[in-house]
Amino acid sequence: MTPNVVILCAAGMLVSAFLMVGQKSLFTTIRLYGAQSLLLATVAVIMAISDHRPHLFVMATMTTVLKGFVIPLFLMRVVDRIGIHREIEPFLNVPTSLLACLGLTVVGYRVSTGFPEGTVGVTHHVLGVGLSTLMIGLFLMVTRKKAISQVLALLTVENAIFLVALGITSGMPLVVELGIFFDVILAVVVLGVLVRRIVDRFESMDVSRLSKLKG
Amino acid sequence: MDDILRALAGAVLQAVGLLAVAPLLRGGIKKMKARMQTRKGPPLLQGYYDLAKLLRKETVRSEVASWVYALGPRLYFAAAVAATTLVPVLIAAAPLEGAGGILGLVGILALGRFALAAAALDTGSPFGGMGSSREMTIAALAEPALMLGLFTSALAAGSLDLGAVVRSELVPGVLFRPSDILALSGLFLVLIAETGRIPVDNPATHLELTMIHEAMVLEYSGPDLALVEWASALKELLYITLLIDLFVPLGIATTVAAAPLALSAAAWAAKVVVFGVVITLVETTNAKLRLFRVPELVAVSLGLGFIGLAIRFL
Repeated sequence: MTPNVVILCAAGMLVSAFLMVGQKSLFTTIRLYGAQSLLLATVAVIMAISDHRPHLFVMATMTTVLKGFVIPLFLMRVVDRIGIHREIEPFLNVPTSLLACLGLTVVGYRVSTGFPEGTVGVTHHVLGVGLSTLMIGLFLMVTRKKAISQVLALLTVENAIFLVALGITSGMPLVVELGIFFDVILAVVVLGVLVRRIVDRFESMDVSRLSKLKG
Repeated sequence: MDDILRALAGAVLQAVGLLAVAPLLRGGIKKMKARMQTRKGPPLLQGYYDLAKLLRKETVRSEVASWVYALGPRLYFAAAVAATTLVPVLIAAAPLEGAGGILGLVGILALGRFALAAAALDTGSPFGGMGSSREMTIAALAEPALMLGLFTSALAAGSLDLGAVVRSELVPGVLFRPSDILALSGLFLVLIAETGRIPVDNPATHLELTMIHEAMVLEYSGPDLALVEWASALKELLYITLLIDLFVPLGIATTVAAAPLALSAAAWAAKVVVFGVVITLVETTNAKLRLFRVPELVAVSLGLGFIGLAIRFL
């Protein structure tokens, strides 16, 4: 039963990453990120129970509260305040992106079998899904024009790394994870401010305009 | 000889049973949707009243309509009924298992769709042509996605027979796989696209710019229309049953006896209701997509099906 739920949630994260690639509404992307974080928290809770690692409960709680609710709400507020066009404009069109992500998923899964733990059982699937989500996150980061969607891609990558860590080590030490958490929160806040500055200056969130000279 | 008779009896019973329940599912979803929008909505049995009314009316056909026009709804209906005999519902074996597996099912459904699309073109009215062109555009993308999703499950079972697939998933200790989730998500999108639900098509509108399925059947009336409506409802129930069979077959009967059958019927009904609720939630929380964005949505389901299939091998 337990491995089944872990695999279910991990695969759900991959599906949510894939849906992020496949649709264009900024708000839906933010909600998908929230749902993905909740799935990650579920994985952490189950691992905490089955492996008797109580500190994972702390991580799960923080993931739920911060990544599941606080960060998505903060990002939605930033988007609301700026009042930008709420559609994502990627460099690549959706079908091409989907094809690229198909390839990346296969690569991620294939790479996961290279780990000593990654050839059999639950670890194989969790690692495979984690690495695939990581690749999709990186892909999102380089193909999206808007600063907010790049922030979301960064957060997806962070979720995927957390999942891979859970899969291989059943959780890093508490201090390391707390450090990562504060990093993420700080990154989101700083990027939120940065996004507003970009919008003030350029009247757009399109980062491809940053390379143009102003005078 | 005895076996053949028993299989035929099972097939007839199952087809009749599903035909009887199908309008209830549509009514239920309509009612739930209305309640979520704080409307009262039509009564649960409205689907049956509509069918009874339409079946009593006289047939009106265009003067230029040929036999293709008359054949369309009949073949569509027959294909939907034939498809029910290939899908396990209460027992972990399809009634006519020897007659065909996954490929047969997809082929029969495609035949019905083709018949209806051809019939819509027959009278030469712009609406019918527009509707069938749109329906085929979406179907051309949804069909491979359906195949990929079905193959993902068939690969695990090592058989293209739906009954064998269900039985292989009932073996205790079978580990859940990520590819199942990917295939389920992909097939759910196919379900939305094929049954003409929001965000792909709106079943409650007759606005010419947005309708897809309704545009195709706009010219039909009376018993012809009743056949189309009934077959569409049946198809929807069939797709949901297919998803239940492939991904949550828990509780399905493995022997023909009263107690397991009753349990299986209850489990099936509960799962259909859950799927109905999910469809209602999707319909109420999403806006209809622009037509040119629909292929992107179906492409997502195609992609999910492909990944599901690919990671089975890794």
